[in-house]
Amino acid sequence: MGEPQGSMRILVTGGSGLVGKAIQKVVADGAGLPGEDWVFVSSKDADLTDTAQTRALFEKVQPTHVIHLAAMVGGLFRNIKYNLDFWRKNVHMNDNVLHSAFEVGARKVVSCLSTCIFPDKTTYPIDETMIHNGPPHNSNFGYSYAKRMIDVQNRAYFQQYGCTFTAVIPTNVFGPHDNFNIEDGHVLPGLIHKVHLAKSSGSALTVWGTGNPRRQFIYSLDLAQLFIWVLREYNEVEPIILSVGEEDEVSIKEAAEAVVEAMDFHGEVTFDTTKSDGQFKKTASNSKLRTYLPDFRFTPFKQAVKETCAWFTDNYEQARK
Amino acid sequence: MGEPQGSMRILVTGGSGLVGKAIQKVVADGAGLPGEDWVFVSSKDADLTDTAQTRALFEKVQPTHVIHLAAMVGGLFRNIKYNLDFWRKNVHMNDNVLHSAFEVGARKVVSCLSTCIFPDKTTYPIDETMTLCLRRAYFQQYGCTFTAVIPTNVFGPHDNFNIEDGHVLPGLIHKVHLAKSSGSALTVWGTGNPRRQFIYSLDLAQLFIWVLREYNEVEPIILSVGEEDEVSIKEAAEAVVEAMDFHGEVTFDTTKSDGQFKKTASNSKLRTYLPDFRFTPFKQAVKETCAWFTDNYEQARK
Repeated sequence: MGEPQGSMRILVTGGSGLVGKAIQKVVADGAGLPGEDWVFVSSKDADLTDTAQTRALFEKVQPTHVIHLAAMVGGLFRNIKYNLDFWRKNVHMNDNVLHSAFEVGARKVVSCLSTCIFPDKTTYPIDETMIHNGPPHNSNFGYSYAKRMIDVQNRAYFQQYGCTFTAVIPTNVFGPHDNFNIEDGHVLPGLIHKVHLAKSSGSALTVWGTGNPRRQFIYSLDLAQLFIWVLREYNEVEPIILSVGEEDEVSIKEAAEAVVEAMDFHGEVTFDTTKSDGQFKKTASNSKLRTYLPDFRFTPFKQAVKETCAWFTDNYEQARK
Repeated sequence: MGEPQGSMRILVTGGSGLVGKAIQKVVADGAGLPGEDWVFVSSKDADLTDTAQTRALFEKVQPTHVIHLAAMVGGLFRNIKYNLDFWRKNVHMNDNVLHSAFEVGARKVVSCLSTCIFPDKTTYPIDETMTLCLRRAYFQQYGCTFTAVIPTNVFGPHDNFNIEDGHVLPGLIHKVHLAKSSGSALTVWGTGNPRRQFIYSLDLAQLFIWVLREYNEVEPIILSVGEEDEVSIKEAAEAVVEAMDFHGEVTFDTTKSDGQFKKTASNSKLRTYLPDFRFTPFKQAVKETCAWFTDNYEQARK
């Protein structure tokens, strides 16, 4: 691949995942600008835990910008079992991507953190300055530390070389193309899959945990638009939280009710309180985002849930599960 | 190398450094036990930032135990300039060593942290529960006993005495040596007010060997003199001046950074295990280190 056409060639790692697919859609629907050349890659193109493969990919693509979404991810129960792997694979991937980007002279890298990496013992709402203030929740310490180290590494690249490597911090993302696996996925796709199965088999919906923990959910298509804005306009090295406001936090029970309603489920809903609840809440402040974009409008939660349920039903065969 | 003779083959990475040399000396002076096969390696034997070289080393040595001391280290001013390199090279080395140890089935790994890594905004004294412990991941996922020690400021023979890049005590020793030779003043960087607990490398070496044999918690353990033995940089400079019989002027360049004001660590956990361990008195340890530097000036790292 030669010199980028126009002014930007944007390499998106993790391009086939939940957020990557959302960015692809938003760009294809018209959010791309003239002079922007978008290249979406996945594990088929390179194993990013392998330094040589990653470097070869970057040398071939020659990106001027990188959106780094690739990661080993999973829901509560998978994290609990595999903290070592979550740490090592993510640290390897992140170092390979950041350093290859640096070596090919990329002007900007936007990586992806998560509100689940913040200190477990904290005041609320959490904000961007608090990431490293204490140990993360024990359930996913491997993943959390690996993600925190992206921020450490960004600051080091800035301090030693002046690079603009930054990161965003979404809350709980959901949408089409998610991982709907009940054991390994996140709560909302897990609930959608469970309701689908409960409807087909005429059984009850069993929600894991008490239903009391609270979450802020962000629709992947909204996140995609914000990612593109960050890529173009946000130039701080300190990360930025991308989330609906605190007032839109819902309980797992309320989220389950939204799925039940969207999928027109009429069976029984029970709560298996022997299963772990995970963190009770992770309420994040989106004040920084609102300072930059006071008028950004998020898709209403119930509408976003409905669209996601419809996508899952229409794409059941090929959906990741 | 075949099966370890007797019960333990201990691989020591960073074997040529300040702490590695101290452990070598202590073992050679009789602290080794029958059945212990000690193998000291350095960067000459393998580049530990390279995964393949590290794995080859571990497959050749087949350790049952590892003391992991190798690291990219430096004093305040070098760290300020090269945070990226300090991060990347150490992460690579640590991951290569821990994972190679895991892959060859080592029973125990003791790594080396530092009190300089603790939270800046904190209550004092700092203790072990404040650490972020990734050895927990190996324990949680596989049940391995990978643990770590946390020394305070280490000094002794075979240190890096480079004034720009080294730590404060060897820096002061080198500076006094030069000031004596040239008849000039000793200029201490900073105000002299920050406080540190210093631990002599030979004392640390004895404690490392005890940890290797007897300490089986995954949570790390601070290895340090007590809080009451914390001294100011000014007092440390005075100890060097006295040990080297320097009579010139001593000034403080307050335009230079002080670094952290203090990092006072608790050695309560150590004292619970070893109530009777005796540290070499600070002035005696400083005197021995100064004498070593003067006697070995040509070949000392500087």
